[in-house]
Amino acid sequence: MKILLTALVLTASALMAQVNEPVEVPYIAYEIKTGKGFDAVQANCLTCHSFGYIINQGPQARAFWLEKTVKMVDAFKAPITPEDVQSIAEYLFTYYGNGEEK
Amino acid sequence: MQRREFFKKSFAAASALALADTLGASETRQPIDNRKVSSIAFPEKRPLITYSDRPPLLESPRETFSRAITPNDEFFVRWHMPEIPTHIDPATYKIHINGAVERELHISLDSLKLDFEQVEVTAVLQCGGNSRSAFTPTAGGIQWGHGAMGCAKWKGVRLRDLLSRAGLKKDAAWIGFNGLDNAAYYETPNFVREMPLEDLDDHVIVAYEMNGEDLPYLNGYPLRLVIPGHYSDSWVKMLSNITVTTEYQKLFFMDVAYRVPDNDCECETPENRFKPTKPITTMNVKSIIGYPTNNTIVHHNTHLVVRGVAFDDGHGIRDVLISTDGGKTWGTALLDKDAGRYAFRAFRYAIKPTKMGKLTIMAKAINRLGAEQPFAHEIKWNHGGYKFNGIDAVTVEVI
Repeated sequence: MKILLTALVLTASALMAQVNEPVEVPYIAYEIKTGKGFDAVQANCLTCHSFGYIINQGPQARAFWLEKTVKMVDAFKAPITPEDVQSIAEYLFTYYGNGEEK
Repeated sequence: MQRREFFKKSFAAASALALADTLGASETRQPIDNRKVSSIAFPEKRPLITYSDRPPLLESPRETFSRAITPNDEFFVRWHMPEIPTHIDPATYKIHINGAVERELHISLDSLKLDFEQVEVTAVLQCGGNSRSAFTPTAGGIQWGHGAMGCAKWKGVRLRDLLSRAGLKKDAAWIGFNGLDNAAYYETPNFVREMPLEDLDDHVIVAYEMNGEDLPYLNGYPLRLVIPGHYSDSWVKMLSNITVTTEYQKLFFMDVAYRVPDNDCECETPENRFKPTKPITTMNVKSIIGYPTNNTIVHHNTHLVVRGVAFDDGHGIRDVLISTDGGKTWGTALLDKDAGRYAFRAFRYAIKPTKMGKLTIMAKAINRLGAEQPFAHEIKWNHGGYKFNGIDAVTVEVI
C-alpha cells in the first residue's frame, strides 16, 4: 500500500530577538520510500529524528545501515526489538542502499 | 545474457581490485553543490538547505560565502538531540558551574553581562563534517556540501574568567559542557563535551551575542561556547552547565563521534579501518568561492570578480591563489581587511573570460605557516568524512 506523505507545515510563530515565547520549529515531511520494513521504520525512528536524517546519509552499504540501526540501540538506547532492528536495516539497504554488502 | 552478466561482474571485480591500491587517494571529489534551499524557513532564519527538521540541520548555500561575516539568518544549524526547549526566560536563565571548583556558581545573564569583562572575537564556526559529500565511498553522516560553516563576531565573557571566579581545585583537569537540548529517551547519552584544561586559553568564550544580536535560538540562545580555531563539535549550544572534573569522563560524544584515524594522513580505507582514533580538534586551511557559483552564466570579455572566504585554525591566511587552467598556473587574489586570526578572510580576484564555453575557477588558500590546500582528489578517506579541505572549484558558462 502506498502512503503518500505530503508536505505538512506548521507555520512557526513570529519570533522576537529573544526566545521569550514558545518557539516552533517547522515540521517538514520528507518524502520517503515505502515498502517491506517501513512499518518498523515508522514505529521506531521518528521518536528521535526525522526521515531527513536518514535519507541525507546518502546511499550506503548493508553493513553501514545495520551498524547505524544497532547504534541506535546500543549507543543511544532506543528501545527497538531485535526483529525490528533487522527489518529496519533490511529496509534501509533495500531502498537507500548502494548495492554493496560492506 | 548470462555471459554478459559474467563480464559485467568480472569487470566490476577488476576495477575494484585496481582501486584498492589507490582507494582514498583518487576518489575524493568536489562536494555536492546543487542542493536548493528549502521553501520553508526556520525561526529567525531565511530558507536554507534543510536536511532535517528534527533535530534541525540547516546548511548555508554557497552564495553566503562571498562575505566575510555570515549573517545570522543565513548561518548554518546543527543539533544532535531532538528535544530543544521551546521557551527560555532570559530573566531566570542561569549557567551553572560546578564540580572540582572551590565554590559553585549560578550566574544569570544579567550578571554575566555586568560582573565580568566583556570580550569579542570574530571566529569561524565549522562542522567537522563540512563538505562530507566529497568523500567516496560515501562516508557516514549527513552529506553536507560546503555550507556547514560560517563566521560571526561573538561577544561574551572569557571561560577562564568564569572558572577563576569559581576557583579551580588543584587537581582539576577537564571541563565538561552540557546544553539544554535533550534526547527523546532518558537513557540516551547527553551531548556532553569535554575539554582538557590545557586547551583553555583567553580566546575561549561563553557568548551571548552574535553579530550584534542575541544568539539566534537555533544557534544556541541564550549562551554558547565559542572555541576559535576548533571545529564546532564542542561549541555547545544553550549552554547550561560547566562541570570541572579531575578525570576524563567516558562519554559517547567524546569517545566515538568526531574522531579521525590517529595516523599521519588521518586516513584509512573502508576495508581497513584504522585504530586508534583521535578527536578532530583544530581546523585545517580552507577556502570557498562564494561568487560565482556553479553554472553561473557570464558574458565573454566582461568583468568577473571572483569572491570568497579563506580561513584556518588561527595562524592566519597568507595568500589565496586563483587558477582558471585547472591548477597549472595561479594568480594571487586580493585579500580584504584582516578581521582577526580566527575570522574569514575575504578575497577577490578579477578575471575577464575571453573563451566561450565552460570555465572552471579554482581557489587555494595558504596560511602563514605555509600549509596549503591539496587538490580535492588528493584528500584521503576517513570513515566519518571529516576535515575535507580540498581546493574549491566552480564551473561557469561563458557565453
